[in-house]
Amino acid sequence: MVRLRARCLMVGDPAVGKSALSQMFHSDGTLFQKNYSMTTGVELLIKSVNIPESGDSVELYIIDSAGKESLVEANEKMWGVPSLLCLVFDLASERSFGSCARWMERVRTHCKGLQVPGVLVGNKCDLSARREVPTSVAQEWAQSQGLEYHETSAKEMEKCDAPLLSLARAFHALYQERREAIQNLSPG
Amino acid sequence: MNESSIRSLGLKVVVAASNDENHPPENMIDGNANTFWMSTGMFPQEFIIRFAEMTNVSSVTLDSYNVKHLKVEKNTSENASHFEFVEEKELKLTEGQLQTNSISLGGSNATHLRFIITSGYDHFVAVHKIDAAASSLVV
Ligand SMILES: Nc1nc2c(ncn2[C@@H]2O[C@H](COP(=O)(O)OP(=O)(O)OP(=O)(O)O)[C@@H](O)[C@H]2O)c(=O)[nH]1
Ligand SMILES: [Mg+2]
Repeated sequence: MVRLRARCLMVGDPAVGKSALSQMFHSDGTLFQKNYSMTTGVELLIKSVNIPESGDSVELYIIDSAGKESLVEANEKMWGVPSLLCLVFDLASERSFGSCARWMERVRTHCKGLQVPGVLVGNKCDLSARREVPTSVAQEWAQSQGLEYHETSAKEMEKCDAPLLSLARAFHALYQERREAIQNLSPG
Repeated sequence: MNESSIRSLGLKVVVAASNDENHPPENMIDGNANTFWMSTGMFPQEFIIRFAEMTNVSSVTLDSYNVKHLKVEKNTSENASHFEFVEEKELKLTEGQLQTNSISLGGSNATHLRFIITSGYDHFVAVHKIDAAASSLVV
């Protein structure tokens, strides 16, 4: 049995649904905040995820950070070195998708050269009539950044657990890979 | 000067995160560089080792992998608390083989040593072996 711990950073523009996705995940789908309450600081949510067929688990330290530009600088100091990245945009806002490259750059300066598994999440897929970002465009950009792409609706509980579950599994896979490599090392 | 190995110093690991049952902290002091303790995510990571009695430690040797920055603290009390800083070191990256580093502690008297790994070259680090060189036991 292995218990891993990972610091998972939630970033993206204001009001795209970072807190909604974090809270839905944390509350097993029981808590959806309909009214927007802007995150101003950095909120920590801890949730343990069981990895199927292994007996192992990953404890996710979800760092839900403010999207508002003027708050980012102060919040960044509390990010630490991320183990995992969840970059969120609003499918009904092309602008929030356009900001993703800047968010990536910002996060990279905190990664200290570590390989950080990440996902790109197009949230609010329930607003299909107002959609501004086609799946193919988002998918292609995600791929160019080495991110796995997901579309979710925190509101309709559509696949909204998938991104964080996938990250937990990626971290577990990374651990196994690294452990294997260390087992095969020759003494120094 | 009487160099004794860590095993005859009655060393124990008293505090360490042990989250992979196949790679427990005891693997660091079993004298075998093939077995290891492995961290399971996030920094800092720390462990505390205890000597059977107050020991004058001239240096410690660490076989490890992917450790980047390491701090060593000590105390002289019965309990594993109230540590004071002794030394810190930036370790070199060694791809494909273990890092072997000796850290001089300048003959500090200690009952416990606390190792704090503040950063790594990867999400996960391993420590295969810790050895201490003691100039003498303090009577
Ligand atoms: N229709 C719809 N609304 C959503 C969805 N997810 C979140 N919302 C709403 O969007 C608004 C903003 O959501 P938040 O989760 O607070 O956004 P945030 O990204 O945390 O915003 P900041 O904290 O300012 O960075 C809230 O009113 C949510 O109810 C979704 O999937 N569909
Ligand atoms: Mg928020």
